[in-house]
Amino acid sequence: MRLRRTKLYLPGNNPNMLLRGHLFEPDGVILDLEDAVALSEKDTARILIQQVLKRGEFGNCEVTVRINGMDTDLWRKDIEAVVPFGVHGVRVPKVEDPREMQLLDEALSEIEDKAGIAQGSTLVFCLLETALGIHRAYDIAISTKRIAAICPGGEDLTADLHTSRSDSGVELVGPRRMVVLAAHAAGVCALDTVFSRIADEEGLRKETEFVKQLGFEGKSVIHPNQIPIIHSVFTPTPKEIDTAKRIVAAAAEAARRGLGAVQVDGKMVDRPVVKRAAFTLQRAGITEEEVQG
Amino acid sequence: MKTTSAGTIESMDCLVTVTEGASGNGIAVTITGSSATRFGTAMKKTVLATVKELQYTGDISIAVQDNGALDLVLAARTKAAILRFLGGVA
Repeated sequence: MRLRRTKLYLPGNNPNMLLRGHLFEPDGVILDLEDAVALSEKDTARILIQQVLKRGEFGNCEVTVRINGMDTDLWRKDIEAVVPFGVHGVRVPKVEDPREMQLLDEALSEIEDKAGIAQGSTLVFCLLETALGIHRAYDIAISTKRIAAICPGGEDLTADLHTSRSDSGVELVGPRRMVVLAAHAAGVCALDTVFSRIADEEGLRKETEFVKQLGFEGKSVIHPNQIPIIHSVFTPTPKEIDTAKRIVAAAAEAARRGLGAVQVDGKMVDRPVVKRAAFTLQRAGITEEEVQG
Repeated sequence: MKTTSAGTIESMDCLVTVTEGASGNGIAVTITGSSATRFGTAMKKTVLATVKELQYTGDISIAVQDNGALDLVLAARTKAAILRFLGGVA
């Protein structure tokens, strides 16, 4: 399982940030061709990102490119410029219609074929930034096999909801819950939106704890300083890892002996508990095979 | 006289300006800025390799104002400036 605790946005026309972003060790980087690039500079940003993909380094990061929306005439040029050169996926803004994702799927398949890349290997991350997009979250999440994650919007979504961002984030509670439900029902990742108050570390920690509790697996990031805070929230503690290891090992032993349930620390362990423990180990980067020896 | 440019003079970037040259002058390259003295020759080579890659053989002068751009950034900015000069984009 690939960790997606943090996805750092990097402006697509800024060499300094494009080349250094991965050094802050986010789980992924988003090379941005959309909002961070002026309309007059889309061409230069595409060429720069292409060169960076061909010759740059990204460490262990999952590399995605945020393309321009499907409602523009820019997105085809975006994917043609970047997909042949080694991206893990594309992030699509303002997705509202599952048919848009099928259109994107076809266009990606054509490019993959021409470039000699395995068809279907370019993942799609959908930003749901309107009420309609949130409402159709599940249909969008199952629209093609390429969908890796769905993510609620922040500013655009609150504007579409005729409200504004508040410190408590109450206006996004409903949309966030809908995205989590849709994502898990469809078997894709739920990734949260950015926290825009860069200097507010405590606020970021609280919001990250909240979205983790809702069922999100990570957040988008707009400043490197936010990465360690989010990682610390999403990374299991040594105690949690130890408990999870013992639960998984006990369940495996029970299965070998043909038993239905076992006790760990005086508590009955059944399937949901084992599933949760396995997920904790995944988040810690430990496989079940390692636990079972 | 037709002139196009691409890039910026921000850190790790460069500004590449392409200008229509006099007939028969070929491709003239000038490099100025932070790395010009030490890496000017290598940078010129990168610029010319990019021109060759684009199969452009006309008369142009290419001016690079550098602020610590890596080779791949220089190539990207050169390609963008020339494509703009030719009236197309990648």
